[in-house]
Amino acid sequence: MKNNVCLLGFLAVTALLLAGKVLTVKVLRTQLLAKPDFLSNNLAAIQKGARLELIETQGNWFLVKNANGSKGYVHQSAVTESKVNLSGIMPGKKGASDEELALAAKGFNEGNEKKIRGSKGYNFAAVEWVMDQDVANAALVEFIRDGKLQ
Amino acid sequence: MKKLTQQSCEVPCKGGIRALNSKFKICSKDLPNFRICYKALMLLLCLCQLLAAWKLPSLSKLSKAKKGVEMVAGATHKISEEEEYYIGRAVAANILSQYPLWKNKALCHYLNLIGKALVLKSERPEIFGGYHFALLDSAEANALSAPGGIIFLSRGIVEMAENEDELAAILAHEIQHIVSKDPLQAIKSQRMKSLGTFAAGEALGSSSEVLNIFKDSVLDITGTLLQKGYSRGQEKDADLGALDLLVAAGYNQDALLAMLEKCQKIEKKKAKAFSAHPSAAKRIDYVSDALGKASGKDMSVRFARFKKSVSR
Repeated sequence: MKNNVCLLGFLAVTALLLAGKVLTVKVLRTQLLAKPDFLSNNLAAIQKGARLELIETQGNWFLVKNANGSKGYVHQSAVTESKVNLSGIMPGKKGASDEELALAAKGFNEGNEKKIRGSKGYNFAAVEWVMDQDVANAALVEFIRDGKLQ
Repeated sequence: MKKLTQQSCEVPCKGGIRALNSKFKICSKDLPNFRICYKALMLLLCLCQLLAAWKLPSLSKLSKAKKGVEMVAGATHKISEEEEYYIGRAVAANILSQYPLWKNKALCHYLNLIGKALVLKSERPEIFGGYHFALLDSAEANALSAPGGIIFLSRGIVEMAENEDELAAILAHEIQHIVSKDPLQAIKSQRMKSLGTFAAGEALGSSSEVLNIFKDSVLDITGTLLQKGYSRGQEKDADLGALDLLVAAGYNQDALLAMLEKCQKIEKKKAKAFSAHPSAAKRIDYVSDALGKASGKDMSVRFARFKKSVSR
């Protein structure tokens, strides 16, 4: 009986770690796609910091499940692998990640952008105009198809 | 571990554990020792798993300040995609303070469609803020890529292009610079080193020195993009990478050669076309050597939409 308890404990820890294979979205925004193809249907918009449960890997693509339980694909360049968060049950650091602290340390961040906004030599209003010029996925699909591109 | 026997025990093994091979059974007299070993093994495996996931933070004796210094020192070697994005925005803002933006929405939309069709085939299809393509209202024939994916084409170079594939060739070259993070290489190493020498408390705060390094880094990159230029090696890699990208997206590679030949003609007139690049003649040589077969696909739709978008 005690041996079975040990075995169950081992299996439970293993399951916890495997189930904790979580990917975090590292880009500002991306899409959960129906197929491992940028031109496939968009199932859901996902934002930076969203956590996705990894189901399987297919080449450069990950099949994942989002917080709503929707399954779909994200490209590997949009996510970063994160360890299971054991902060609730294990001692360890909390708060800002190493990456966030390093970012703050170097000053290449939103805070310093705000400080130089309005300074001579920077036209951020024009940058915002550029960032607003986006194309819809459906328009891109049509453009590629009509132009006999791939 | 006590011995395992291949022979059946005379006394039935109550509570005995079946081994992987069903022929192996454990004699009851060995069970107490075996159970102890088994429990110890399971406990050890559980501990190993937890420690591996936990990355041993509690074992570190580093103080927070010391850790901060280490992170900053480490940061001198690597710039994250988020940092690349913010420095890229500042570089773009600096360029746009020197060259007016050409707010031609229809043409900008067309440029973004071509650019994004190429990006999907690149090695960095998803970057922090996504790729953005825009036009500068300048007669100079030039193309620039700010870190983080903001790419500018001047009115002069758009007017040089005679079809969509040629516009794609210019964009593919600039996308390759982003893929290789070439703009970031322009930041003088001394700036990154000086960041690493700050005390943790100062660096983690909002020091004016850090802000100055941010501004100086922007000027390093803008200076390279507008005047100094990339190294010949970087340009060659971008050209050869562009050829692969064009083919992958379904465009004709010949378009890059055609654009370079146009640049060569302008160079002879001592114009500023691609002044930041190696000579067009040298680029034509290695691009010609690397050219593959023309795609042979029907380009009529691409010709028509180019004509519609790029009105002359």
